[in-house]
Amino acid sequence: MRNLLEKELRLAVLPLTWFFLAAAFMTLLPGYPILMGGFFVCLGIFQSFQSAREANDILYTALLPVRKADAVAAKYLVVCFFELLAFLLMALFTALRMTVLAAAPAYQTNALMNANPVFLAFALLLFALFNTVFLGGFFRSAYYIGRPFVYFIVSSFLLVGAAESLHHIPALRFLHAPGGERMGLQWAALALAALLYALLTLCSEKRSERRFEQIDL
Amino acid sequence: MSEAVLEVRGLCKDYPKFQLRDVSFEVPEGSIMGFIGRNGAGKTTTLKSILNLVHASAGEVRYFGLELHRHEQEIKQRIGYAGGAVDYYKKKKIRDIVAVTRSFYGAWDDGAYRKYLAAFELDEDKTPAQLSEGMKIKLNLTLALSHGAGLLILDEPTSGLDPVSRDELLDIFTALRDRGVSVLFSTHITSDLDKCADHITYIRRGRILASGSMESYLASCRERGIGNNLEEIMLHFEKEDFHEKLA
Repeated sequence: MRNLLEKELRLAVLPLTWFFLAAAFMTLLPGYPILMGGFFVCLGIFQSFQSAREANDILYTALLPVRKADAVAAKYLVVCFFELLAFLLMALFTALRMTVLAAAPAYQTNALMNANPVFLAFALLLFALFNTVFLGGFFRSAYYIGRPFVYFIVSSFLLVGAAESLHHIPALRFLHAPGGERMGLQWAALALAALLYALLTLCSEKRSERRFEQIDL
Repeated sequence: MSEAVLEVRGLCKDYPKFQLRDVSFEVPEGSIMGFIGRNGAGKTTTLKSILNLVHASAGEVRYFGLELHRHEQEIKQRIGYAGGAVDYYKKKKIRDIVAVTRSFYGAWDDGAYRKYLAAFELDEDKTPAQLSEGMKIKLNLTLALSHGAGLLILDEPTSGLDPVSRDELLDIFTALRDRGVSVLFSTHITSDLDKCADHITYIRRGRILASGSMESYLASCRERGIGNNLEEIMLHFEKEDFHEKLA
């Protein structure tokens, strides 16, 4: 598995994917739908899949003396690596907004989502969506990437729309709180999202392994 | 006939508009087998099936006496494959591709790699995109030979090559055979086989028409008045097919 991960990082991943991690900085933008930062991270990963397809990466991998299931697992692990790096950066900037920048005038009025544990929970759900809809869709053929990515765009925009506006419902106002009361609920939401991320990614990976064993390259 | 490095038995594959039917043949150790047939006859489907890139609906494939599905990883350590026009990571330096590739093969031999690199005049700082078609084939051969492949499977390696590069490649095949490496290569250019092949498998419309020693196949075709060389034999069968369709 180590050599497959090395293969992914040295041959399949574009420098652009690393560069798109910078989208995590969007967490600091005042008055901006900050969850879009997570979408741009996924867009960066997508660029690597596009380039890898043109480089016959899947055929090269299938000819190596490795299990096909390991080839799929390596792709998922590398995607999760980038998502979790982005998540760590987002968590860092969220912590900044909730502490040293909490009193900054730019963050006092915000019709959109505030950076808080619920925002991080939605970021994980967005990544889970990418792993399920895009990665799962890609391994139907191990070639076509357009349709799975369009499905991801549509579903992620629905998720971002919901995440950025749900707190306007009075009963869900706590989702918006940048600190203070009801934080227990916010942390619980983050823990639930982490669990969902792990479960959905694992299910998608197992399904992709089965599909990849069956498709003709 | 010496021991077979590859045995294919009753291979079948169904596509909506094409079927591979009961494909069976053997590649003897230390031989060059030409896999011929016109475009669309089933050469690539057969080669992909025996590499488990395409899933056959029936049949058995054995390499070095080992069944493919049960020993796929072990077998892939001992074979090399190159598709004619396929190149991998064409914008990456050869040095980087090799650095990754070598880590997958237990029998990788850096000395052999350097030797073939020099023999084929390959520059590690170039990318596959900067190589001619002939040099790309040589790169794939270098990778395969550096991990000690005992069998090379090549899909139309001579297509798109100029006559000099083609001749050079056929000389390489002959030299490899002399070192005990077996070569199975598909082609529709029959003159390639006249120069180096000692065995032949002829596929037509998804079925094997003939498989065995090239010498005895040519002799039998001559006796039956089908043709004196592979080109005449292929034309005889393929034209017959064409006239049947017109009738």
